[in-house]
Amino acid sequence: MSSIGMVLNIATTALNAQQYGTGVTAHNIANVNTEGYSRQNLILEAIQPLGANGLIFGRGVETDQVTRSSDRFIENRLMQEKSSMSSSLEMEKYMQVLEGFFNENSGTSISAMLSDFWNGWQDISNNPSGVPERISLYERSLLISEQFNALESDLIQMERDLTNAVSAGINNINQITREIAEVNQQIIRMETTNTVANDLRDKRNALISELNEYLDVKAFEQSNGSLNIVTAKGCTLVQGSTSYDLEMGGVNGDRIRWQNSSGSYVDITNYISNGKLGGWLDMRDEIVAKYKLDLDALAKEFIWSVNRQHSQGVGLTGFTSTTGSYQATDTGAALNSTGLSFADKIVDGGFRLWLYDSNGNYDSDTILTIDADVTSIDDIVTAINAIDSTKISAAIVDGKVQISSVNGYEFAFSDDTCNVLASLGINTFFFGSSAGNMRVNDTIGLNKNLIAAAQIGGDGTIASGDNTNALAVTDLQYTSMNISQWTCDRINGNTQRSIISTIEDYYHSMVGSIGITSASVSRDRSFYELMVNEITNIRDSISAVSLDEEMTNLIKYQHAYTAAARLIRVSDEMLNTLLGLK
Amino acid sequence: MRVANKSIFDAVKYNLGNISEELNKASEVASTGKRINNLSDDPVGLTQTLNIRSTLSNMEQMGRNINFGRSWLTASESALTQVENVISDLKALCVQMASGTTGSAQRLSAAGTVQNMLDEIVSLANADVSGNYIFSGLKTDVAPFSQDGTYNGDNNAFSIKISKNTTAEIGSDGQAVFGDIFNTLSNLKTALETNDVSGIRDSINKLDGHFDDISARISDVGSKIARLDIKDKIYQDLDFANTERLSKIEDADIVKAIMNLEAAELAYKAALASSSKVMSLTLMDYL
Repeated sequence: MSSIGMVLNIATTALNAQQYGTGVTAHNIANVNTEGYSRQNLILEAIQPLGANGLIFGRGVETDQVTRSSDRFIENRLMQEKSSMSSSLEMEKYMQVLEGFFNENSGTSISAMLSDFWNGWQDISNNPSGVPERISLYERSLLISEQFNALESDLIQMERDLTNAVSAGINNINQITREIAEVNQQIIRMETTNTVANDLRDKRNALISELNEYLDVKAFEQSNGSLNIVTAKGCTLVQGSTSYDLEMGGVNGDRIRWQNSSGSYVDITNYISNGKLGGWLDMRDEIVAKYKLDLDALAKEFIWSVNRQHSQGVGLTGFTSTTGSYQATDTGAALNSTGLSFADKIVDGGFRLWLYDSNGNYDSDTILTIDADVTSIDDIVTAINAIDSTKISAAIVDGKVQISSVNGYEFAFSDDTCNVLASLGINTFFFGSSAGNMRVNDTIGLNKNLIAAAQIGGDGTIASGDNTNALAVTDLQYTSMNISQWTCDRINGNTQRSIISTIEDYYHSMVGSIGITSASVSRDRSFYELMVNEITNIRDSISAVSLDEEMTNLIKYQHAYTAAARLIRVSDEMLNTLLGLK
Repeated sequence: MRVANKSIFDAVKYNLGNISEELNKASEVASTGKRINNLSDDPVGLTQTLNIRSTLSNMEQMGRNINFGRSWLTASESALTQVENVISDLKALCVQMASGTTGSAQRLSAAGTVQNMLDEIVSLANADVSGNYIFSGLKTDVAPFSQDGTYNGDNNAFSIKISKNTTAEIGSDGQAVFGDIFNTLSNLKTALETNDVSGIRDSINKLDGHFDDISARISDVGSKIARLDIKDKIYQDLDFANTERLSKIEDADIVKAIMNLEAAELAYKAALASSSKVMSLTLMDYL
């Protein structure tokens, strides 16, 4: 049975409900700019009606629940795309720096320096006895060595920067997983009372999204409302209210490790494929690693080819003393297993050692025969000492061969068919065997007359106008060589294959390949950016707040509130009328 | 589709970001005049430009080598031409001295002239280009001929590189060039001193031989110079062609660059205008 009291009751529920509605609207408006916020809706329901005398009387309105407008599927897609975008965004940043290292428009172009280097040899071939030409070649060689060194150290520095970035990223990840574990706990507690923890879920979503920007993770919701998070190789980062930290480790402290319950470590470095971490690791272990190896391979072949030709020649004078630049670990072992940097290049053959008296006149010559897998460095030293101890002697100092002449005698070399001189670093032009340690041989730095432009004539003469060897060195510019080219892959490891190319072409295609990589990383970035943008649009059309909509809702609730209030006034008037009857 | 406020602002940010990136690229191209400013702008084009630059640098060096070679060959040509003149003078002198009307006193005095000419030929044969002797084979630091005509050089020829796989001989083995010319002259001198007419006649024949040899050498040198000139011309043409190719690859078409810049600017302005309109719209203004 209906009564005025009941109308008053209904009006009260209406007032409450509309007020609640205004509250939800206010909450939505307040969070219009909150990242990851899902707009909330008030679900109103009519109260179970009352039946009396065959009639049904409504009893007003009640608030059923406040729901979140959110689509799990879209949220997950968005997180995945964001993860990929962060990865390519980071790679793009570092690629731009890497491009800068190899920028050919700057004054530090290896390509131009290589041209200068070969031209320096051409100038010497035009005027083999000229001192200025020799000094100029020396300076150019210094420049190119220093540029190789600088590039190598730039690349190493970039690797360090990336490792530091990864390390800082790990700290952030640990922080985020701890927070997720905490929020999990709060959600479990709150949702036991049959309510949905809307805002906490939004907060957790935002945290997972942030986590996804660092690395690729998978989240699994449990029946109690908590979320378990698993990353690469199935390593759990969050389980209920517990989080598990990642840490840096390994020999160089540059690997990412996860500790399992039994305390042993799992190295997940190579399995993180997305997020900033994925980008940094791709950059460090695939891109920078490749170009560092390629640069080394190039420097190594460059050093070797110049040294090998140089060791065939002779300068304006012979040597009075020289020390090899490569160190052997075992001077008693056969030459090709001595631990010399270029031991693998030694083949069977021999070389000729010439002696000149104090007037520079030919004295004698000796052929030393080498069997690559029999003869040892000790054997060579013994053979030299057997020539004539009043003229020449040899010794091993610090794993390096040292040859000295006495009584004003000088010595020189020719016809090395076994590459042993270049491998020992005797009569060579460059020192070192990689981009990092390459420099001009000190012997040449001290005496530019030892730059070997000539080759010793059949009768032992050293002619100052002989440019035979200088011409042979300039020919290297056009000679195709076998140079290793690397492919670095975090999962499949690093592999090399040999390509046939001139020094210059190799470098040019290396620079071109950096450009191509960079362009493709940029394309990836803009693709993922577009994807994120599109999916964000979809996500926002479901979840984000529209102020216009909220304003409409506000007015809707306001009108309903006014009407409910009017109900009370009308009921009041009705009661007054009733009471006034007396 | 439902459009949230955030979507509107996000779209404005995203679109303005994209357009300003394009604007920035267009302005970079227009202001540097270069189409390739970063390796990634056109990696293939960049590799080509690197190859062309190396080629250009190499050709420039070849040009220097050729000029250097030319200086040696011209010095050679001029020394040999003078030697040829001296031999021709000597021949005339011999003909005169071989004549029956010439007396021993005249012959004796002619012997002095021959000695002077011998000295001159030695000095011509010791010609050098900035301190390097051109007729002493590879021993360019040693004067090829002693006063008595002994050869001190070696039997190789000094060569330079004039292209990737060719060299050109620009110095010579003096012994081969001058043969026993010094012997002939000193024999002639002795014949004059000893009034040996048949000896003088012998010398005429020999001098004829030397004249022909030297002439042949001169035309040889001449043809080498011509070869270098042709090479040089080829390099100049190639240099021009390569420089043009380089410019085509790396230089921006300035008209196109400016058009692109204007287009990007226009798009940017349009985006700014529409953004400001959309962003300021709200229902609240009408309530």
